[in-house]
Amino acid sequence: MARTYADSGLSHLTNSLASPIQLETSNSRLDGVPKDLETSIHYETARLLQAAGILLRLPQELVAQSIVVLYRFWVGPDGGSLVEHDSTEQDVAAASLYLCAKPSAHAISPSQTLTVFHYLSRIRPEYSTTAKQDNPSENIDWHLSEGDLEIARNRLYKVESTILRVLGFQTHVALPYSLCINYLQTLDASSSTAGSAVAKRAFAHLNVALFSPQMLYLTYQPSAIATAAIYLAARETDISLPETEWWEVFDVDREDLGFLVVALRSVEGFAEDEQRKWGQRKVPLTVDELRAELERRTMLENGE
Amino acid sequence: MEMRNKALLSSTSPSSTEATLTTASHHPSNNTANPPTSHSATSLNRAENPLTVASQLTTARAILWDPEYTTRNPPDIRLHPTHVGTLSVGGRTDSNISVRSLGGGSKIATMDKRHPSSFQQLEKLGEGTYATVFKGRNGQTGQFVALKEIHLDSEEGTPSTAIREISLMKELKHENIVSLYDVIHTENKLMLVFEYMDKDLKKYMDSYTSPSTTSGQSARGALDAGIIKSFMWQLLRGIAFCHENRVLHRDLKPQNLLINNQGQLKLADFGLARAFGIPVNTFSNEVVTLWYRAPDVLLGSRTYNTSIDIWSAGCIMAEMFTGRPLFPGTTNEDQLLKIFRLMGTPSERSWPGISSFPEYKTNWPVYSTQELRAILPQVEPTGVQLLGQMLQLRPEMRCSAQQALAHPWFADINARQAQQQHGPGGYAAAQPAPQGMVGQQQQQRAY
Repeated sequence: MARTYADSGLSHLTNSLASPIQLETSNSRLDGVPKDLETSIHYETARLLQAAGILLRLPQELVAQSIVVLYRFWVGPDGGSLVEHDSTEQDVAAASLYLCAKPSAHAISPSQTLTVFHYLSRIRPEYSTTAKQDNPSENIDWHLSEGDLEIARNRLYKVESTILRVLGFQTHVALPYSLCINYLQTLDASSSTAGSAVAKRAFAHLNVALFSPQMLYLTYQPSAIATAAIYLAARETDISLPETEWWEVFDVDREDLGFLVVALRSVEGFAEDEQRKWGQRKVPLTVDELRAELERRTMLENGE
Repeated sequence: MEMRNKALLSSTSPSSTEATLTTASHHPSNNTANPPTSHSATSLNRAENPLTVASQLTTARAILWDPEYTTRNPPDIRLHPTHVGTLSVGGRTDSNISVRSLGGGSKIATMDKRHPSSFQQLEKLGEGTYATVFKGRNGQTGQFVALKEIHLDSEEGTPSTAIREISLMKELKHENIVSLYDVIHTENKLMLVFEYMDKDLKKYMDSYTSPSTTSGQSARGALDAGIIKSFMWQLLRGIAFCHENRVLHRDLKPQNLLINNQGQLKLADFGLARAFGIPVNTFSNEVVTLWYRAPDVLLGSRTYNTSIDIWSAGCIMAEMFTGRPLFPGTTNEDQLLKIFRLMGTPSERSWPGISSFPEYKTNWPVYSTQELRAILPQVEPTGVQLLGQMLQLRPEMRCSAQQALAHPWFADINARQAQQQHGPGGYAAAQPAPQGMVGQQQQQRAY
């Protein structure tokens, strides 16, 4: 017999959150991946997925949903391990995006998905310029042969069903974007001339929060994330919000707000650290790369 | 600098979701850990001393706080008295106690990863476009189930219909919606384990012989008024629940309404259903079997809403009375004309904005509006009135499921319902037992 889900029904405002044990350990760490390396791989994979979403011209909400699904998949002792032999993190990111898009109004074909991920794997790790360009760079061979495509497609389906199994099909993700707009309107902050600047900043924070190593979307409800993004955006754009503790209206208390604001602000530093740490080296996204990285670390340790 | 402040992971949960009561066994520093106790909701005496529980709780923030990313002090994880208050709210989980629910008292579930259980496969019940349905038996309890086997073909991997159906049905728990018990996911197939129902409404109507009318008096396939009312009431309750939870069924038809031997009706087949956010302007217009499809969808609208399910319900109601589909169209165009023949051809005057629909034609034959009473002479006036409110050409004119349930036609059922809720019988016995059905079929109750 299945466990019955709370009688809460289907909520479009709240998410199921990761339980303490799911946050405390992951299958990858049980498999011996060090915490910092795991964090780097998570971040790199989420970045890859975001870049693919932009190239595929998918709505950001769909990309955000896929990134949350990705993190849901990794978290917990029964989650997906990075040391999974027949799939790479690129496969996992592709499958996550593919499966979130499929039942939506923006379905993408397997070959579209795979081609874009293949292209990105060629230009890794510098996506920022590509994402802005409309055409892929001329000098990069991003073509997948019919045979390669066939193999990749089968792997995509396999990883997709692994993700669905691990998640128990819990692919529904409540996102903070529309709440954020709604809150800004409630606060009367969207009508002013600076209103669009606040909204833009707030949305930027919501997007950035997806990459937080603190997995904010798995630990906080969208209402709290939206509120923190607005708080921070208003500070940054010098928009005055009510003097009162307005966040209480959105069911967020000072404590949570404070934590989230710090968390949002720290993502930038985290990203810079990651960039500094890896430079032009590639973050390992396959089991072989991961092994090589672990060996390299052991060698460095022994060498000292 | 190895061990950061890995806070104690002990917590108690009043819900039955797993993994809430744990001890971090590989952290020997953890000296405040609770011994694992039963996960059963009733065994926890949380109500007695919420403060004891609160002192052991931790928040996600405490676990995730990491000096690596911040220069701030570790979060103060002591809980405010207000939180302790929220903890005694029945069934509340602790996974993130500091977030109060926005969803009107709904609980915060933790993510759940489920495991297959064993079912014995019996005879085939039917075959659909993407699945085969078998009768099955739960190996442990002997309970009958319906096993919907979905093949994972090479076209699209896991079918999107399955992803939609499972992700929605897992959370739509209502007595008028067929229950999804389990999902068994193997290498090359996917098996959905549903509650077993005896028939669908189509088969029920086909095999129905009225006990209260002499043969020939009522049309073949037509049901008795009492049964129709009960079925409509249950259908509308199921629809209302979906709509409250922002789910459109989009494919209501007699084949998707399942009936059991107790006269219960449940909505099934949510393969086309989807959650609707705001706005909904990108929905595909390739939904709903033609005969039950709302005119706005037939006209090419892509901004349809809950009212499309109400139209289908209206068509089904008429069909139960006559035994024949109300609008058995063959093509999109034919379907529209069949509707207009009864409802009258709409114009800009009767339906402002109709000319901007993609499928609008200027050469439609002009039909005048017919009286519903004329085609349903046997139906009592209040019933016809309700039907008229559901079968409105303009979507915004159609009543909601909730309004339909409050219609005077259902007065007797609602009165009985209210009585049951206040009476000693309690809430559980909520199904209205239609006359003429209990005695007739009860002998088949095998479980």
